[in-house]
Amino acid sequence: MQPMGNDKPANVPGRPVLPSPAAPQLSTPFISPGPVVGLGASGVPQTTAPFLSSRPITGTQMSDYRSPSPPPPIRYNGPSSPPPPTSYPGQDATIYQQTHATRFPLPAQPGTPLRGPPSVGLPVTPPIGSLRPQPQIPSVPMGPAPQIGTHLSSRSYMPPPLSESSFSAPRPPPQPSLHGYSNVLPRGNMPPSPAETQFLAPRPVSQPPSQQAFPSFHVPPVHASPYHVHQGGVVPPPPPPPLGGPLGYNSREQMQYPNTGPPMGGSLQGLIEEFQSLSVGSAPGSLDHGVDAKSLPRPLNGDEEAIKIQETYPLNCHQRFFRLTTHAIPTSQSLLARWHLPLGAVVHPLAEVPDGEEVPIVNFGPAGVIRCRRCRTYVNPYVTFTDAGRKWRCNLCSLLNDVPGEYYCALDASGRRCDFDQRPELSKGSVEFVAPTEYMVRPPMPPVYFFLIDVSISAVQCGLLEIVAKTIKSCLDELPGFPRTQIGFLTFDSALHFHNLKSSLTQPQMLVVADLDDIFLPLPDDLLVNLSDSRHVVDALLDSLPSMFQDNVNVESALGPALKAAFMIMSRLGGKLLVFQSTLPSLGVGRLRLRGDDLRIYGTDKEHTLRMPEDPFYKQMAAEFTKNQIAVDVYAFSEKYTDIASLGSLAKYTGGQVYHHPSFQATTHQEKLRYELARDLTRETAWEAVMRIRCGKGVRFTTYHGHFMLRSTDLLALPAVDCDKAFAMQLSLEDTLMTTQTVYFQVALLYTSSSGERRIRVHTAAAPVVADLGEMYRQADTGAIISLLSRLAIEKTQSHKLDDARQLMQLKLVKSLKEYRNLYVMQHRLGGRLIFPESLKFLPLYVLSLCKSVALRGGYADASLDERCAAGYNMMILPIRRMLRLLYPGLYKIDENLIKGPEDFEKSLKQLALSAQSLDPRALYIYDDGFSFIIWLGRMLSPDLVNGILGFDLSGFPDLSKLALLEHDNEYSRKLMRIIKRLREKDPSCFQLCRVVRQGEQPREGSLLLSNLIEDQTAGTSSYVDWILQIYRQSQSS
Amino acid sequence: MVFVWLTAFFLLIALIVLVIYQLMCLADLEFDYINPYDSSLRINKVVIPEFVLQGVLCLLFLLSGHWLMFLFCVPNLYYNVRLYRQRQHLVDVTEIFNQLNGEKKRRLLKLINLVVLLFLSLFWMIWSVLEDDE
Repeated sequence: MQPMGNDKPANVPGRPVLPSPAAPQLSTPFISPGPVVGLGASGVPQTTAPFLSSRPITGTQMSDYRSPSPPPPIRYNGPSSPPPPTSYPGQDATIYQQTHATRFPLPAQPGTPLRGPPSVGLPVTPPIGSLRPQPQIPSVPMGPAPQIGTHLSSRSYMPPPLSESSFSAPRPPPQPSLHGYSNVLPRGNMPPSPAETQFLAPRPVSQPPSQQAFPSFHVPPVHASPYHVHQGGVVPPPPPPPLGGPLGYNSREQMQYPNTGPPMGGSLQGLIEEFQSLSVGSAPGSLDHGVDAKSLPRPLNGDEEAIKIQETYPLNCHQRFFRLTTHAIPTSQSLLARWHLPLGAVVHPLAEVPDGEEVPIVNFGPAGVIRCRRCRTYVNPYVTFTDAGRKWRCNLCSLLNDVPGEYYCALDASGRRCDFDQRPELSKGSVEFVAPTEYMVRPPMPPVYFFLIDVSISAVQCGLLEIVAKTIKSCLDELPGFPRTQIGFLTFDSALHFHNLKSSLTQPQMLVVADLDDIFLPLPDDLLVNLSDSRHVVDALLDSLPSMFQDNVNVESALGPALKAAFMIMSRLGGKLLVFQSTLPSLGVGRLRLRGDDLRIYGTDKEHTLRMPEDPFYKQMAAEFTKNQIAVDVYAFSEKYTDIASLGSLAKYTGGQVYHHPSFQATTHQEKLRYELARDLTRETAWEAVMRIRCGKGVRFTTYHGHFMLRSTDLLALPAVDCDKAFAMQLSLEDTLMTTQTVYFQVALLYTSSSGERRIRVHTAAAPVVADLGEMYRQADTGAIISLLSRLAIEKTQSHKLDDARQLMQLKLVKSLKEYRNLYVMQHRLGGRLIFPESLKFLPLYVLSLCKSVALRGGYADASLDERCAAGYNMMILPIRRMLRLLYPGLYKIDENLIKGPEDFEKSLKQLALSAQSLDPRALYIYDDGFSFIIWLGRMLSPDLVNGILGFDLSGFPDLSKLALLEHDNEYSRKLMRIIKRLREKDPSCFQLCRVVRQGEQPREGSLLLSNLIEDQTAGTSSYVDWILQIYRQSQSS
Repeated sequence: MVFVWLTAFFLLIALIVLVIYQLMCLADLEFDYINPYDSSLRINKVVIPEFVLQGVLCLLFLLSGHWLMFLFCVPNLYYNVRLYRQRQHLVDVTEIFNQLNGEKKRRLLKLINLVVLLFLSLFWMIWSVLEDDE
């Protein structure tokens, strides 16, 4: 560096833009795959070209770049070019550059004029001349010199087009590459293909014209010199001989040159994809910040599931069921230790599948379910048959098993069974076996729904009771499992009200028990009845419930005793318990107190206790519930504190879910409650389930994260599970060295279907074992990683401060990027860039937004304790797709769609960056995080449009918080409703309630929307750009 | 004096048995011989007796003026009291698998402490018997 610095002053008096060498300008924007190539190649060649004029210089740089796996084609060593060994060492490069620099002046000056993009380095040139002390060089067109030039050229060139003028060239957001400083910029900009071609062009000689062009570029090199230091990497230490090919220019213009060499082979492509880099960091003396906010990577195109794994392993189950955080298992502990992200999997066993892809059901009949004798693995596509089909070898433990006579089938010439195609269990990664009676400890249970409804004054006043009763009634016909379905009700305030639903009655009988200390059941049965038998009684009860408690003024809530009573009623069968709670439990066991209103506790060591269940009663109840196959869904409605942390533990350990509707008001929230309750009641549910994940030798699942209870070290007890629940788990390596080439995973979920059949759903997947950290990064799956990370963070908040959890996330991110950097920085001298694998390009953004999510953000004032806990419980069960949507919500501009004709409005909505800069006061936006919609009305939006949507004049209706968005009789409103409907269809697992907010309407705008624009800087948090800089700096420091 | 050491000896034996019993329950759980409900039930049943015995032992040393032995006991007692006051003395059936390693480790440390005490008190017992003889 130093030498460079010295040179610079002399050389470049006027270079304004150049990033000072000292600063890690590393401007290279991301090196998008394509661009990467360009860097090495283009830069080098350019310089050389002028100097060497017609020398056969090879694109050494290129090789350098990819040095790790230098594809042979890359290095074009010009046949003629003599490899100057001495100079090459990367760091030495700086020296070289200087020497070479001398040459530059001459060619550069002429060149500049010639070149179209004069802007680059023109001013610089004169100084250069002065600088160069070594005239000799010109005569010698050796490798070293070119290098310098290349570096310089590349940067300098690049800038002209893009960055020079403005660092942040306004890029289209979708572009992955960031432009950091002008220096590196070129790559990012360059279309990958052209870049490659340039590289390829091996023979400078042949292309005289191009070379000439170069000179102009050379000028810039002077500036660039500082760069070299950083980029010294470019100069490839390993590839000694080749001189920079003249060809590869970064600038697009050059690209256009026809002379470009032969197209690269596939190997290049591979290299290109190796990593991306962002140029970051401000160089002292250069522009103030080095990151172009517009070009940072953002998941604006929806999340695409990693399909490529499906291509390499076509027999794997679909990604929607099982995703590994990296689809490459490390071969040793030491390798795993260098992978700082979690290694594990996210399992979504009952994920909804599109029509036509249903999981096939297999019945083995008398043969019984085919399993390995030793490890109990189910037969799957990866088992191999031997001995003419009489034996099969387990793919997990390699044990040879006998094939039962009924299952026997001859093998064909290739060793596959002849009936391979007819047997889904041998050709598909996901199948469902019908389990025989050995898989039952008791007769399959019927679906049971038991409702525990709070009828204290708050529940009645907000209209909750009426809506719940109506919704349940409307769902009675659709409850799964007809005619075996059982149902029961218990209402409570300061006493427990049992309801006798015996089928011989015409009206339900209510039995009140006021003794809360010693709970007993007033009736031995008939509190839980068969729905089809007692349908008329149930209907009558639901009709009368709201009026029955209409005038209730009881403010107490005896939830604890009610839970115990419900447990006594349900314990024989199990089933699903739905708890509707509208106030803090205040009587009997499990009474809770107000906590969480203490500002002082935040930031202290006791902070986490707020997020833990206060009373062990709830955990104990949860354990008992699970033991008896009861799943609890908690619906909480209070505007005041209800201690979701405690109530939620009921759901957490029973495979349930927490539905939090703060400040419930029937008028505005009823649709949401209706939809979610109806979905809860009618979606396909797997009852009394257990899940186990088996994996091959050498690896082991150690920790599990989600809503379930562990019944043994690796058996997840799930009283009820459905398509809205996903589970995450972490892997560890048992042996120090893996001996197998492939590791297999098998998820088995044994459950009772609503129809009363015992089933085993089996998902099988295979993953390769790798010895290369780079491969692990290449195969990383951001979605699975962030899903697992977020669960770890939530769990961390339950034993530590919020801040600790956030720092842990940041630390993991930084460590992994640092490790990745160490992989490549030596080879490529990517000194000043934040580099990361293509597969993880969104990870920094997601981690940032995780730290800003409701569950983790800020401190006391940033989210109410209940909302925070509810969000935490939610994130623990979210499938990957919904998790990503929650972390990076969609923001769409829709006013044009509303105004324009019908054909336009049908077109797909374009997702925008989540920043206040995306908001235009003249437009209308919709924000969709998967749980709610927020419609933002710009201040200068046309009144026509606003009135059309809202159905009234906005000026006369200041309070939008009570507004329920309805369809009105005009074109705008109808179109808006259609758009909303379409967005809702994307995620049927939740009802997105629409809320309307006007620009400048504080504080609602702030809390609803502005605080969720995660790319913006808010109090105490950094913006996306700052975050990237921060991560870069930390991953830089060693 | 011999009586004190004899009492201490039996107390220590009882404590060691209780701690080993808990460790066995945890080990059984780990190897899937019993389910977490039974395991935590069994462990929780003996936690309070263990704490009480530990308290009695400390008191015994304190009252009989064996300051050194008392000092050896105190860390364990302090730890027990702290757990009890934080209401973390009972194992949590819902989280038992996540806490398995920690629970085992803390009980192993206790065991080591108790075994050391046992040898010391044996030594002192024999010593005092010999002294009485003389």
